[in-house]
Amino acid sequence: MAQLSLQHIEKIYDNNVQAVYDFNLDVKDGELIVLVGPSGCGKSTTLRMVAGLEDISRGNLFLDGKDITQTPPKDRDMAMVFQNYALYGHMTIYENMAFSLTLRKEDPNVIHKKVLAAAEILGLTSQLNKKPAQLSGGQRQRVAMGRSIVRNPKVFLFDEPLSNLDAKLRGATRREILLLHKRLQATMLYVTHDQTEALTLADRIVCMSMGHVQQVGTPLELYDKPNNVFVASFIGLPPMNFFDVRVAEGRLEGTGFSVELDAAQKALLAPYGGKEITLGVRPEDIDEGGTIPVDVTNNENLGMNTLVHGYVGGNRSVRISAKLRGWANHKAGDATMMRFKRMHFFDKTTSNAIRKEDN
Amino acid sequence: MSEVQEIKLDRMRYTKNTTSSRLALLAIVFDVLFFISIYKSNVGTWYYNILMGASIIYNLVFMLAAFLSSESVKSYKAEYSYVMIILGVLQIVRIWIYPMSAHAAVVNNEPVMGTAQFIRVIIYLVLSAACLFAGAVINLNKSRALASRIASLEAGKA
Repeated sequence: MAQLSLQHIEKIYDNNVQAVYDFNLDVKDGELIVLVGPSGCGKSTTLRMVAGLEDISRGNLFLDGKDITQTPPKDRDMAMVFQNYALYGHMTIYENMAFSLTLRKEDPNVIHKKVLAAAEILGLTSQLNKKPAQLSGGQRQRVAMGRSIVRNPKVFLFDEPLSNLDAKLRGATRREILLLHKRLQATMLYVTHDQTEALTLADRIVCMSMGHVQQVGTPLELYDKPNNVFVASFIGLPPMNFFDVRVAEGRLEGTGFSVELDAAQKALLAPYGGKEITLGVRPEDIDEGGTIPVDVTNNENLGMNTLVHGYVGGNRSVRISAKLRGWANHKAGDATMMRFKRMHFFDKTTSNAIRKEDN
Repeated sequence: MSEVQEIKLDRMRYTKNTTSSRLALLAIVFDVLFFISIYKSNVGTWYYNILMGASIIYNLVFMLAAFLSSESVKSYKAEYSYVMIILGVLQIVRIWIYPMSAHAAVVNNEPVMGTAQFIRVIIYLVLSAACLFAGAVINLNKSRALASRIASLEAGKA
């Protein structure tokens, strides 16, 4: 397989719109990297630059140490799986999977072996004589993956491959991609706007916003130690709650509530004494019982969890969402007390996380 | 059977019999060349008889049947090999209907069909028939081989 290195990659379109700024990433052999971010953040553009479908305006792209910045797509030895499958409707599944190899004029017997092997991996053997229209969305996406597998490329590129599938099928296909990655041990770049896909699939996640890389790290790092408010708000479902608070003597004072700080937190926030910071609390880090008054607006029972939405300290502009364990039966208008089990702190000016290593 | 032969045989389960199919289409092409050559001749009123009407209708039937065979042999349907053989035999028989009689006929002291045209149309018919025979034989062999391959796979599964 392959190591991929993106160095200072930038994309500037002819109309001077810059889509990607100084993108740097080293992808290890066999690693699955997920590029995640909202629509228009530059993740698909980056993937297309790697594939060679978009020109790289600045920077260099290396595959196994070789500069492939100017190499045509067909010579990059990469296979791309698209959101809309891009299958040929008039060809059978077998012909679709064999097509790229047929174009390369490979031995038909070798093509046959590769197609059967890929079909076996993807559970498509019984579908090989069918046309794409006879398959479900999930099966079609598997065919698109199979078409990539037969080429045995150095790098697999996935551009939102699950976006056209319904929720149930998306989950199943996601698991299949993960199994496929484990089986092939292939280097993969995967683009999605769905954080669940990112968290469940990735070895490392690249979180992007407005063309800038916000954070690169393992799913746990992004969830546990977000670099800034954007990453904190993007990763995690329901999203993190944010409150404007002032660092006071030994505690944080927000609108209608205050939170005690422990010794480590006091030391961490000492340079911010008297200043305003942003406090971030994940809904799952909120529990009932404590000193923070919450007026409930609605209650969503999800079975093993309950999402309680409301506002803090009687102030309707300070919204809060809490993910409580078990089945809670709050009604709109109920008043309850909550506590924060874990808190994240962000500099109000820079939006960057305030962490121990920052001091 | 060597591994290569076995893979070649197995490939037929998923690939079409394009050889036979294309040969059937080629037979249509030669038939078209045949009737264009016949119908473009200016031979006065000699052609305008019941045989001419029959010839036109037969050409339509031939093209339809050959096209259907072409599509069917693509998926190794053995019975269409026999249709192709019959069509091939009829192409040969046609040599004695129009080309022979037109070559022998004389209108206004001119032969209805000159020797050059006569040879050309006979070549077209023979080539058309040859394509049909070849396509039929290839399809018969392949469809039998495929049937026995599928039978052996099913026996293996059982």
